[in-house]
Parts: sequence; C-alpha cells; structure tokens
Amino acid sequence: MDFSLVIAQFLSGLSRGMMLFLIASGLSLIFGVMNILNFAHAALWLAGAYFCYTFWYLMQGYGFGLWVAIPLAALAMAAIGWVIEVVLIRRVYDRELSEQLLLTYGLILVIDDLIKLTWGAEDKLITRPPLVASPVFFFGIPFDSYFIFVILIGVAVAIGLWLFLKKTRYGHIVRAAVFSREMVGALGIPIPRIYTGVFVLGIFIAGLAGAVQAPVGSITLGMDTAVIVQAFCVVVIGGFGSLLGTFVGSMIVGEVYAFSILFWPQGALALIFIITALVLIARPWGLFGTPMRT
Amino acid sequence: MKLIGKIVLVACSFLLVTALVNPTSGIAAESYHLGVDLAITGTGALYCKDGIDAIKLAVDEINSKGGFLGKHPIKVFVRDSHTKPDVAVREAKDLILREKVRAILGTYSSACAVAIKPIAREYKVLHIAAISNSENITKVNFSPYTYQVVPNSYMQAKAVVLGVAKLAKKKGWKSYVTIASDYEWGRSTQENTVSLLKQFAPQLKLKKEFWPRLGETQFTSYITAIMAQKPDFAIGSLASKDNVAWNQQAKAYGFFKKIPFPGSLISVSELIIQAKTLPRGLVGLCRAPFFAHMDVPMMADFVKNFRAKYNRYPSDWGVMEYDAVYALKQGIEKAGSIDSEKVKDALKGLTINTTRGKLFFRCIDNQLSCSSYIGVVSDDPKYPFPIYHDLVEVNGPDSWRPEAEIVAARLNEK
Repeated sequence: MDFSLVIAQFLSGLSRGMMLFLIASGLSLIFGVMNILNFAHAALWLAGAYFCYTFWYLMQGYGFGLWVAIPLAALAMAAIGWVIEVVLIRRVYDRELSEQLLLTYGLILVIDDLIKLTWGAEDKLITRPPLVASPVFFFGIPFDSYFIFVILIGVAVAIGLWLFLKKTRYGHIVRAAVFSREMVGALGIPIPRIYTGVFVLGIFIAGLAGAVQAPVGSITLGMDTAVIVQAFCVVVIGGFGSLLGTFVGSMIVGEVYAFSILFWPQGALALIFIITALVLIARPWGLFGTPMRT
Repeated sequence: MKLIGKIVLVACSFLLVTALVNPTSGIAAESYHLGVDLAITGTGALYCKDGIDAIKLAVDEINSKGGFLGKHPIKVFVRDSHTKPDVAVREAKDLILREKVRAILGTYSSACAVAIKPIAREYKVLHIAAISNSENITKVNFSPYTYQVVPNSYMQAKAVVLGVAKLAKKKGWKSYVTIASDYEWGRSTQENTVSLLKQFAPQLKLKKEFWPRLGETQFTSYITAIMAQKPDFAIGSLASKDNVAWNQQAKAYGFFKKIPFPGSLISVSELIIQAKTLPRGLVGLCRAPFFAHMDVPMMADFVKNFRAKYNRYPSDWGVMEYDAVYALKQGIEKAGSIDSEKVKDALKGLTINTTRGKLFFRCIDNQLSCSSYIGVVSDDPKYPFPIYHDLVEVNGPDSWRPEAEIVAARLNEK
C-alpha cells in the first residue's frame, strides 16, 4: 500500500478524533464526577457554534475575528452552563437516572428551539481567515490547515485537563469525587460547589468544541443529533470519567472511521458501533474506566 | 301568501344575480386548505425556507384575487418534517385528518416524499413534490395523486452524464469515483449516473463508491480517500448542508485543483451562501436557477416580488415551490372545482405556465417536463453572488427516462 495514503488517512482520522475528543471530554467529565448523563451536551455544543458565528460576525472586518470569537463563545457557554446547573441540574442529583435523562432530554428540545428563535433556521457560514483557508502539505500530502489548529486545541485541552486533574488541589478533589462523593463530603468539602465547577468546565469545553467546529462547514440546526451518538461511542469505549479513556476512545473512533472509509466505505459507522457493543459486553466500564463507584 | 312568495322569489333572484356578477361576494365559498410538509429544521432547512416563503408569496397573490377560482381563499398550514420520513408521515396525516387539507406541497427529502406518497393516495389528497426529486417518487409504486415539478434524479443524472461524457472524451478520462449522501435521493442519483455513464461513456471505469451518511459534518476522511484513489474525476450527489460542508472542506484540501468534480449539485442557495468561498470555474448542476429564465414574464415578476417581500433572491427551491402552487391553481381552473379527484384528473398531461416557461406533465408518471441546468460558476456584475455562465439547459423530454423503461420497472414491481 502507498505509504502516503496511510499518512493521509491517519491525519484525517486524527483531526476527526480530536474533534470528537473536544466534544466527548466534557460529557465524560460531567458523567464521571457528577453521575449525570447529559443528553443535552451536543445541543450545548451546537449553541457554542452559533455563539462563535455571532462573535465572528461582529468582528468579521478584523483578521483576528475568528480567533477571538472561539474563546468568547466558550466563555458564553460556560456562563449558560452555570445557569443550567444552578437552576436545573442541581435539583436532580439525587433523583433516579430516568428523571435525569428526561430533564436533559427536555433541555435538548428547549435549547434547539431557543437556537432557532435566536439565530433562525438558515444555515450560518463562517469565512475562514486566509491563514487557515488553504491546504498545507506533509511529504506532498495535502492537509486542511484549519485542522492543525483543531489538533493543537485538542492537545491543549487534553494536557490542560490532565494538569488540572493531576496537579491541582481542586483537581484532586474532583478525582476523589469520581470514586466517593460521600467521603469527599465527609471531609467538609462542599460537593455542590465542586459539581457546579465541573459542570461549568464541561460546558465550557463543549462550547469550545462547537466554536472550533463552526468554520469547518455550515452551522445548521440538527447537527447536534448526528454528533451525540459518536460522542457517546467515544465515552463508552474509553470509559466514563476517564480523561485518558476519552482521548484513546476518540482516536479509536476517528482512525477506525478514516481507515474503514478507505477499505469498507459502507461499513464505516457500523464498525464503530460494533466496537462500542463489544466493549460494552466485555468491559462495561470502558477501556480505561473503573467499576469502582459509591 | 302570494306576497310572501313574491318576496322570496325576488330575494333568491337577487342572490343569484349577485353571485353570478361577482362570485367572491356571494354565498361564502369554502376555503381551500393547503398543507405544506417541509423541513423547517434538519438537513433540509437550508432549502425549505425559500420554498415556504415562495409558497406564501404565491398564496398571497392568488388570495388577493379571491383565491382559487376567485372564490376559494387559500389557507396554508405549514408543518416541519424535521427532514425525517416518520415525522413527515405523522405531519402529513395530521394535515389531512385535522386540518382537512386538499393538497400537500413538499417535500424534503425524497425519503419523506416516498413515505407520504401512500398516505396521500389513501386519503385521496394531492401531493406535489417540488424539492425532493428521487425518480422513485413517480416511477414505481405509482400514485395518481402525486405530481413532481422538479427535474427528477434520472433527469438530473442524465444531464450530468451528457456533459461529463463530452468532457471525458475531450480530456481522455478513464476512471472516476462517486460520493453520494447515503439515503434515497443520493442512492437513486448515484445509481442512475453510473448506469447512464456505462451507456454514454463505456470507456470510464468506476473505481470506488463513497457513501457518507446524511448530515455528515466532516468529510476529511472521504476527501483524502478519494484523492488516494487518484481518479481522473469524481462525481458527487451530496445534499443541502452536506454539500456546503463538502465544498468548504474539499476546497481547503485543494481537492478541486487536483480532481475535476463536474456536475455536483450547486443550487442557487449554495451560490448565494458561499458567494465568497465557492471556487470559480467549478462545473455545477442546478434544478431551477431564476437567472436562466428572466425573459419569462412570470419569472421576472416572481423574482421582483420575492425580492420586494423578503429582500433576497429566490433559490431553485423557491422557484419550484412557487410553480407548484401555480400548477395546482391551473389544475383547479381546468377542473372548475377544488375537488381533489377532479383536480388530479385535470392535471394529467396538462400544459401549464410556469416561471420556467410552458411545461407539461407527462401522463405516465406525472413528471413535469422541466429542464436541468449545467454551467460554470462565475462572477457576474449583475448579482452579488456568482451565477452560472455557459449555461446548458437540458430539456425534460431530452433527459427523462423512456416510457418503456418505466413500464418495465412497474411490471417488475408486480
């Protein structure tokens, strides 16, 4: 097989995987720490993309417009995440899983309708700045230069989250809460505040992922439903709550998808679902997750 | 008693004369309930907004003259199919049972059109497909209640093939790949294209088929995989926003500079939305570009009124939905009634005035004899977005499937 072909598919799989990692890491973090399966995660991701469009639109006359719009969109989503946690999510921590699912599912409908009311049903398109509008070449293989930025953001988020969880006191508390929230609470640490922080961080990353996705194609209603399924596959494969697992899961899904398009285009998605099902059967807590939980 | 009899006689005569002189001011006529089952959300939202706006414009114009037949004001009921067949069916049933609509205009996508066809037939309600264009909507499982005012997938594929066959001969192309959205329209268009290319350019070899799911947001793996195949050219049948994402990403990979991509669907929507980014020189296909028929007074008026009302140019989807309303109007006028049974019969084989000129419905499949258009994406000083130059119009009768093949397909069905 032509080596350049392998490199080209690897790079496209890597960019796809990084995009998935950005979406799934927030989802995994929120479930891992708070035990809340946030169905509305992708809807919030989509809202991040729309916010990015608005900020970019306001600054489109400037070359830096997109680069400022992306973090602003993530911050806007973090603020919205805080409101959602305080007003809604906080009230269902001790409820049955089905009630949590109903609430977050309801949130999808509300968020999607709010997006439609705010931005309308028309698709939005962000024009990329010249810096990332043309391809770059690796050993003669073309690669979309914007995805270099996506990969860098993905790596930065992975490293940032790892440092936060491993090296900071707050991160240690969050990791401890994954295993036993009661024990953490018994030590006098305010669990609700930890939860609010984690939820806001998760939605910040979702908003960032949406904003990063925005210039890739058009921003349209319904994009979130297509993405949430693959994000769930990632966290199931990697293990809910595991940062490393989410990273590895994203790479598996991205690369399997990219290479199966080369060899078996019709079965690309099916293969991902088969892997997800196999992991669920053999190791329900995922490749890097843990069954320990109280 | 005689006096009372005279008064009643005079009153009845007065009412009769009034009704005859001014049909709209006499006895209140029944309003015409018109259902619209289009995608306000989901993949098709990009195309359907223009369609809905154009329907509303046509309805306002007709209602300003009293409605259908000058006495049946039209009441429009718009429903969101979410671009999902199950939702489209649910909404179609609701439109028929609750709102008592006599006709349903739609649809996006072809899967939705195919799904609601039997519902329209069961309840004897007219169904006019003006955006979705799989030829299976009218070719097989035929319903006399379903009409199509958009060039179907076979017609579009043949138009592309005729253009590509010429290019292939000229440039010595030998191999190609296809990329098509994995659903009813994408499958049907791709199959027709491949089959027609075998017929018109037998020297061409299909290297590989790619089937991204409908709603794909990231095409990078497909782009690199196609480039790896090193085909002489690629043919695409990607729908709506998928097409926008594909164009954006393929351009960023320098795809169009390396691999010719002739005949992909680039509607007026894409020309407008991607005005700044769409690569100039691309050879694209579209279904009803307004700028091809500005010499037709009905089109010139439509564009003028559409711009006045919505402050933008209409896309193909707006043009075709507008024509759908006027097709219905002309069917009703020929039938002299709003009864769907009579209108259905009146539309059979009817020649109608459309924004695209005088066209007729073919009897065997209720397909309108509308054209497909191929051209080169180019800037034009008249418009704030690129349009097609060197436009080739392939007429309906030159591109539609021969009747014998339709008969054979229906026999196989049985």
